Amino acid sequence: MSIVVKVVQWFTDPAHWSGSDGIPTRLVEHLQLSAESVLIGAVIALPIGIVLGHYGRFGNVAMNISNVGRAIPTFALLVLSFQIFGLGDTPIIISLTALAIPPMVTNSYVALREVDPDIKEAARGMGYRELAQIMRVELPLAVPLIMAGIRTSAVQVVATATLAALIAGGGFGRYIIDGLAQFDFTKMVAGAILVALLALATETGLAALERVLVPRGLRLLSAPAARRVAFKTA
Amino acid sequence: MNWKARSATLAAVLAFALTAVACGSSPSSGGGGTATPKGTITIGGFKFSEGSVLAELYGQALEHDGYSVQFKLNLGSREVVAPAIKSSQIDLYIGYAATDLEYWNNAAGEATGDVNATTSKLNGHLQSLNLEALKPSAAVDQNAFAMTKANATKYNATKLSDLASIGNQIVLGAGPECPTRPFCKPGLEQTYGIHFKDFKALDTDGPLTRAAFANNSIQLGLVFSSDADLNNLGLVVLQDDKHLEAADNVVPIVRTPVATAEVTRILNAVSAGLTTSELVQLNSQVELQHQDADSAAQAFLQQHNYFS
Repeated sequence: MSIVVKVVQWFTDPAHWSGSDGIPTRLVEHLQLSAESVLIGAVIALPIGIVLGHYGRFGNVAMNISNVGRAIPTFALLVLSFQIFGLGDTPIIISLTALAIPPMVTNSYVALREVDPDIKEAARGMGYRELAQIMRVELPLAVPLIMAGIRTSAVQVVATATLAALIAGGGFGRYIIDGLAQFDFTKMVAGAILVALLALATETGLAALERVLVPRGLRLLSAPAARRVAFKTA
Repeated sequence: MNWKARSATLAAVLAFALTAVACGSSPSSGGGGTATPKGTITIGGFKFSEGSVLAELYGQALEHDGYSVQFKLNLGSREVVAPAIKSSQIDLYIGYAATDLEYWNNAAGEATGDVNATTSKLNGHLQSLNLEALKPSAAVDQNAFAMTKANATKYNATKLSDLASIGNQIVLGAGPECPTRPFCKPGLEQTYGIHFKDFKALDTDGPLTRAAFANNSIQLGLVFSSDADLNNLGLVVLQDDKHLEAADNVVPIVRTPVATAEVTRILNAVSAGLTTSELVQLNSQVELQHQDADSAAQAFLQQHNYFS
């Protein structure tokens, strides 16, 4: 019997859709771990990137620190924080948060840096104060890049949350790790498919969110490169 | 030299050395006093801590009774040790009844929870090879299910059959393969009728299992019965009263020409004196307190008046 047939059978088996090892339970676990990590990461990363990008200072420091962050293997961090915090969701969320932070810092920094200086000048000339300028002028213009950073983080986190299963966590990684231990390759493939689907869903879901958040004026200008030229020559 | 070539050379050198040693070993019977040497017995040990502890324990007992003993510790896995005794490079190793049976019968699945039946089947396979398994000890190193002392008191459990009625309050923790292994979750369900509240996939007797015991996210976990740290962790092994697990009792396996009445008596005396909790104690001295296997074994034999 081909692996495709086996996997289809695995998905249609009602036993895999209920109970503590069922797909709904694992989906909720996976989403919960990923969402918590991305949210905590965003709370830490976005203010840093936005403030540094706005003032245009310490940009190199921030970039370098977040790039070093990217170099730390999530698995190593997972094992280390397991040693410190023991069994549970804490070590998983810590390592996934660390994974989520760098793209969001980098993207939000660049997004704010890239706001046209003429526009900032105009805002100041119209009497905007610092905070109002960030909130009402720079952020709306920066949304596409910031959202791209969040999207990158979220997709990475959803795909990497499979590691949770290595330290007895839940999520779709369970199917992959358990399948390997049980020589049940159907289960492994099914797990991998579920993770891939969830990552794709995250990508498209956040892209939809981005479309809602991007100001109408920007949406009308389709290509970013064209946009920059349009503003500069205007 | 690449890795394969190097290990092949090493194996050749080792084999030569062992053969040279084994040629000299033909224990003479007779002679009464402990002073006169009775010939040399070469004892092989598995390449893990408990293997060395057991080899020292039995070997020193033989030494005490006047045999000159060659210790070949940390030889390797059974895949190394068993061929060594087959080709008379060693005279004796301390095995485990069920695992050795499944090795010598090429994994025919004959091992059961009955240690005597398992040992006699083992002897059936060893006979034609001029080997024999002596009396198995009560000490076992096998899959076992443990609880924290607090939970064992709370649930009033000393044996696995105590859990049948309260399975719905208990989360079982073991390696991810446990739900498909007949000696793990399915066995507990069928043999003992325990239907667990949930199963938590951890590791096989590793740090995850220990962490899960520590924060009570599991109430029952798979361990090995002679683990060095069971006492330190406050874990108690529940008695496998319906013999679900294959009987991996400690058992000396010896070449028949070496197994004279006296050698057999000495080895059987050590087996008879050893219990699983004493083996846990010895393992913890060696693995956790970093004593040498030989001094820990010597102290144990002295304590149990073996030398008096």
